Formats: sequence, C-alpha cells, structure tokens
Amino acid sequence: MLQNADHKNRLAAAAAIVYCLFYLFTLGDLSLGTVGWTWNSIPITLERLLALRSGLQFEAVAMAELGYVVFLVSPGNLLVAALLGSLLGLNVHGALSLRQRRHCGLSASVGSSAGALPALLAGGACCAPSLLLLLGIPGLGAFITLFSWLVPVSILLLLSSRWWQRHQGAEAVMGVF
Amino acid sequence: MIKKLLSCIWCQTLGLVLAGLLQTATAADLPLGQPHLSPFSANAYMKEMRSGGPSKDGIPSIDAPKLWTATQADTYLDAQDIVFGVYANGEARAYPQRVLVWHELVNDEIGGKALSISYCPLTATAIGFERGTTELGVSGNLINSNMVMYDRASDSYWPQILGIGISGPHRGDSLSEYPVVWTTWQNWKQRHPDTSVLSTSTGFIRNYRSDPYGGYNPPSGYYEIGYPLMFPVMKRAGREFAEKQMVLGFRTAELAVAVDLEHLRRQKVLHYEHKGSHFLIIHDPGLDAGWVFQSPEAVTIDPDEVAFTAEGPQSEDLESATPVNSFQALWFAWAAFYPDTVVLNAAKR
Repeated sequence: MLQNADHKNRLAAAAAIVYCLFYLFTLGDLSLGTVGWTWNSIPITLERLLALRSGLQFEAVAMAELGYVVFLVSPGNLLVAALLGSLLGLNVHGALSLRQRRHCGLSASVGSSAGALPALLAGGACCAPSLLLLLGIPGLGAFITLFSWLVPVSILLLLSSRWWQRHQGAEAVMGVF
Repeated sequence: MIKKLLSCIWCQTLGLVLAGLLQTATAADLPLGQPHLSPFSANAYMKEMRSGGPSKDGIPSIDAPKLWTATQADTYLDAQDIVFGVYANGEARAYPQRVLVWHELVNDEIGGKALSISYCPLTATAIGFERGTTELGVSGNLINSNMVMYDRASDSYWPQILGIGISGPHRGDSLSEYPVVWTTWQNWKQRHPDTSVLSTSTGFIRNYRSDPYGGYNPPSGYYEIGYPLMFPVMKRAGREFAEKQMVLGFRTAELAVAVDLEHLRRQKVLHYEHKGSHFLIIHDPGLDAGWVFQSPEAVTIDPDEVAFTAEGPQSEDLESATPVNSFQALWFAWAAFYPDTVVLNAAKR
C-alpha cells in the first residue's frame, strides 16, 4: 500500500503537520484548556517580529483563544516550525521511497528522521525547556546553554539525512528536493 | 589622513569619558538601602552565575503597567490565586502571580513611590525594590536558581534574594527593599477592597491563564515538594525542611533567619534574640503572612491585641520597634544564599 506515491505524499505531509503542531506545543505557542473565544493582538512592528525570547524562539504578536485551544501567533516561530516540519516531511518521504526500493530497512530509513527530535527539546517557557520540565530531570540547568543550539542542530541533521537519502536513490519531491 | 584618524580617536576618547561620566551620574539615581548579609564574595557569586536560557530582557519586564479595578480583576482571578500585594502611601496594588511568572519584574509607581516588583518563579520569591528614576530588568542569568536582575542606569547585576550588587558600579551596594506580601487574591481584596490590580494588558502576548512551571492550587509541577532542583546551588540545604517547602526569611547585616510558616501560624508570635537585638515575628491571619520587627529591647506582645490594618500590624508595643523586610522563599534557595541561616521551627524556640 505504501508503494503508492499518493500515500507517500500524504504520510509525509501528515508527519510534517503533526510535527509542526507538536513543536508549537513544546514552545508554548499552542496549548490546551477550557478557554473562551477571544482575539488579542499588539501593534506589529519589525522590531517585535524579530524579537527573540531565547535561542530561535520569537515573540508572539497575537493570541487566539479558540474554545479549547490557545494559539499564540508568532510569525518567526511559525516559519521555524514550517521549516522543521517540511524537512521532516522530506525525510519521511525519503524513508518510504527507499523502503519501496528496498535499499534499506524501514528502521534505518525512518531513523534518519530522528534529527527532528532535538528541536522539540528547545522550546521553553522561561528558564526551563518545557518538555524536560514536564519530565522533571534534575540538574538539567547545567546544560541550559546547549538548548539554544537544538533547533539549528535539528535543521542540520535533517538536511544531512535528506542528502543521504537522495544519495541512496530516494525520489525527489516536486522534482527538486 | 593622519589628521582625520587623530580627530576620530579624540572623538572616541571624548565619547568614552562622557559615557563614563553619564553612567556615574545615572548610577546614583538608584536608591540604596542598609547593607545586609552577603555570605560569599561578589566574585564567588559571579563565578556561580549561569545562563537561565533567555537572553537579557528575553523575559521582558513590564515597564508601562495597566491596571484593573478589583471588580474587573474578579473576572480573571480566582479567590485562591496567588497575588503579591504592595501598599504605599494609602494605595494598594496586587500583582497576580499568573502574570508575573511570565515577566518576573514590573517597574511601577505606587502611591508616588517608584518601585520594581520582582518575582522569581524558580525560588518562589517576591521582593519589592525602590528603583528611583531607573528601572530593573531581567538579565537572563541565575544564581542558585534565583533570577539575577540588572539596573538600566549602571548595568550592575543584582541577584534578587541577595539584593546586593555583584558587578558593575554598584558592586557591594544593597538595594533598598520595599515590603511585598505573598497572599491570595481573596485575602488581599478583603484587606484592601479598593486595591488596583496589574492587568494582562502588558504590551506582550503571553498565555496568562497558564503557569509554565506548574500550579499552586494545589502545588504541582515544579512547585511540588518532591520535584527535583533544575539548577546547581552553591550549598545544599539542610534537612530542617523539604527543599521545596516555603519559609519566611529575613536578614540583617549580621544574620539570616528562616521561619517555619506552619510553626508561626500556630504560635502567632515568635521571638528571637541575637547579640542584643530582639526580633519579633508576627503572623498576620488575614493575609496568612509574616511581619518582622527588630528592637534593642525585648518586646512582649499579645497577638490577640494586635490590629491588622492596611499598613500591617498595629500595636502600642510596636512603637519602639523597627520593621525588617521579610519574604517567603523556597527553603533550598534561602539555604543556598544563607548557608548559616538560623532556623526558627518547632524544634528551636
């Protein structure tokens, strides 16, 4: 069934979207809870659009409360999420493509998408990466400066693994990537 | 060409001198307080300082606070929500913990007094400082998990609990503190029905419905008693309390004291004497908070005779006593800053 090109595209797109949402959740830009229906925004200036909270985490310019979901609109974070999600999607597509050609096992090729994981640990509220705060890992703060590198590391890993997949004969997406 | 270069160097030198003069002038705009205890050297604190993740002002202070009335705040705050209360010159103001957890500092003016209200979520400390004509900001650094502030006039660094400059022109100086009460919205509103409240119109977009560290009703996440420490500390706390237990702390130039809040609630009044100085710690049942007084002579007070007004505890017996600023803190943080702290609990009277 996975041999169908449409299925590969759909799975890659689904992985990209789910990853984007999860990434925004770890940043705190997306959260769940019973809330009302409101829209709150502040004047959008270039300075505010480029303002960083930490690492590659940008300030939000608007907030939408949508019944059970709170969404902080930060164009910078959305761009990073879209970039990471797209790269993951390409990796998933490549993994399925290589499996179809039986050039390598599923675990090895899906493993190449693991480069997306570090970025999920980069999102944090104030002085604590949110996922690790949730897990309660003691002494984590000693490594806090490394966390700002996790997004660039993820991007590099995903680019490298995609290059490797293409080198192994994985199909190009949209004839280019 | 050489002429141009020399003139450029001359301009730069003049600029540097002027900048230096300007910094010296503005540094004086920050009111300083009585020196208090600093168990380690400024160098030792600087060595221990580490990044908390965000960059300087990455956690943005609120510099143009907008206010709600108590009635407006009722639609946002639950009765048991934590607020930090400040009363100055007849004006009361509440700072919701749910707002400050995202900003850690508010540069405000209350009753004509320019104050910075600070809150560090990792050490659960809310402390007020007089700020004069300047503002305090969040440096993004931590010592013993406690926020390190900086002042925007001289760029000196100030660990919040210590309240003493550890770098810059104010190295070794003590900030002038102002009382901040850790209480609930219900308690504060009952004591100060006309209070104003810091609103969520902060100029920044945050999800003020949630606390990224956990919750206080009941304590959960990072605030839970058993939740591990995230950052290294200079000294690990003794076993008098659990690391994440709240104590009431106060310090003078000579000593630091940690008071067991439960013990204080039961006893209503505690006495402590140190080298001829007498300390009186009074429980305020309305706010469930503690007030500390110092006197050269022992003061005997009947807790049932004390009236608690907007200004705090009132009694004729307190007329000769001087108020000492106190604040609540997680035990691990208090003990890390003051390893030789005196502990007042049921085991020590």
